[in-house]
Amino acid sequence: MQGAEQKAIQVTDLTVAYQDKPVLWDIDLDVPPGVLLSIVGPNGAGKTTLIKAILGLVRPAAGNVLIYDKPYEAQRGIVGYVPQRGSVDWDFPTNVLDVVMMGRYGALGWIRRPRKKERELAMQALEKVGMEAYTTRQISQLSGGQQQRVFLARALVQDATVYLMDEPFQGVDATTERAIVTLLQELRADGKTVVVVHHDLQTVTDYFDWVMLLNIRRIASGPVDEIFTSDNLRETYGGRVAFMK
Amino acid sequence: MLQGHLDILLIAIVTAVACALPGVFLVLRRMTLMSDAISHAILPGIVVAFFLTESLSSPLLILAAAGTGVLTVLFVELLQRTKLVKEDAAIGLTFPALFSIGVILISRFAGNVHLDMDAVLLGELAYAPLNRLKIFGSDLGPVSLYVMGTIFVLNLVFILLFYKELKLVTFDASLAAALGFVPTVIHYGLMTLVSVTTVGAFDAVGSILVVALIAGPPATAYLMTDRLSRMLIFSAIIGSVNAVTGYWVAFLFDVSIAGSIATMTLIIFVLIFFVVPNRGLIAIARRHARQKWEFAQTMLVIHLLNHEGLPEAETESAIADLHEHLSWDPGFTTQVVKYALNNRCVSREETQLILTEQGRTIAQQALVE
Repeated sequence: MQGAEQKAIQVTDLTVAYQDKPVLWDIDLDVPPGVLLSIVGPNGAGKTTLIKAILGLVRPAAGNVLIYDKPYEAQRGIVGYVPQRGSVDWDFPTNVLDVVMMGRYGALGWIRRPRKKERELAMQALEKVGMEAYTTRQISQLSGGQQQRVFLARALVQDATVYLMDEPFQGVDATTERAIVTLLQELRADGKTVVVVHHDLQTVTDYFDWVMLLNIRRIASGPVDEIFTSDNLRETYGGRVAFMK
Repeated sequence: MLQGHLDILLIAIVTAVACALPGVFLVLRRMTLMSDAISHAILPGIVVAFFLTESLSSPLLILAAAGTGVLTVLFVELLQRTKLVKEDAAIGLTFPALFSIGVILISRFAGNVHLDMDAVLLGELAYAPLNRLKIFGSDLGPVSLYVMGTIFVLNLVFILLFYKELKLVTFDASLAAALGFVPTVIHYGLMTLVSVTTVGAFDAVGSILVVALIAGPPATAYLMTDRLSRMLIFSAIIGSVNAVTGYWVAFLFDVSIAGSIATMTLIIFVLIFFVVPNRGLIAIARRHARQKWEFAQTMLVIHLLNHEGLPEAETESAIADLHEHLSWDPGFTTQVVKYALNNRCVSREETQLILTEQGRTIAQQALVE
């Protein structure tokens, strides 16, 4: 409709505060469709909060978020979410296939139960992340990397256009990290927009084509080769980072 | 007489199952303490409604009490939201306050009404069948059986309808919210059910022991399965078993029925805790013992492999001297050798211990890892 002007995610003047302590100050962020963007910043920079604000999980004190020109509530169906692995109880009595099928719950809506079709979609997603041999495995029996793959499969099964992922590389082994990167790049190749909270500065240039530097306020955002400079990084990390490009 | 037993037993079973079903979600959400709070805090609701209706089984009483239960949850969460008080302290502040309002009300007006503190705290299942439902003069059975039966059906329908939503909200509330399922609605729906169930069960087992019915069977079932659906079914079965055995014990020793049921809940939990396959204490102890022998056997075969075919092999693998080379207790060494012989990892040739093909493979694998 609006052609090249359209934004996959548009955040304008977003401020989020807990009590009166701001965790995000007046954030502006435009994410064009089809980019693989990492949000980078020190601990407590508000990276997770930004993701949650985009998803409507925390209420902003000011500002606005649009996904393809509409508020999130109207676009739930096209947004996939991968929360931090540590945010759930892995001792919950359920197995791998069941967790992945949860990704279809949104499309099913209230009351309707998952059926054969949801099962098949979940199986396909598990194949994509190389976990098809673990369908009936109790989730507490998985390694950290396997748990992360299950979470990714659960987001894939949502068949979204925009993906928001909170630290998908956290605590995973090198093989899983490679597998996840390949998957993210496949998603981008399919024209999806992927936003990833990331903490490893060393890999930003290898893995991502866009980057947002965040520390309560937005330091900079745009293509990695323009934005990921030592000046910007010093501003983000307050000189505490010993990282040279 | 037999009819009386049957009535009590039926009420006990239906109550136990009705409590166990929502209890599963409380246990998984780590909120069993909340059921304790609700079960106490409903007292003022019951007392006030009792003053108004003068009956312990009127629907108004159940509604008023359930309302107080939901209010308790609300108070606890409001306190928690200030971030000045943690959840356990918020619960500890809220329910004794509400409970004591109930106690004060009873002590102030108890002269005029029949509402006994003992019955409130411990319930009296033995008297439950006396209050009967009569329509046009025909006896349709004890009222509390109908009350608990209705609550059981309510719980069952709610869980069947919203099974998927309850599962998602319990496992991953953020995703549930992101997908548009409004966790708060599910949460308060569940809390309303728990309140209604507690009020109903209160008549039978009192306000303290109801926690045993809500927390006990799900905690036991949690040891037995890693599927939510089975956990629900097992909880219902264990709840019934607790009720039946508890009633039987009470009958045998002529003691409080509610007390025996709660005691059986613990006994059966402990029993399962020990014997359940894979996860029980006995299974764990056995696994540790087996690991100990397997590890010793691995050390033995590696020792044999290391010296195999070398000049010193004859002294190193002499059965009589093994314990000296490995610095093991001689008795332990004999047992390990016997264990390894049984597993065909080694064979005996006169005074020597020789690796079998299988033993060699085990040793090589252990070394590679």
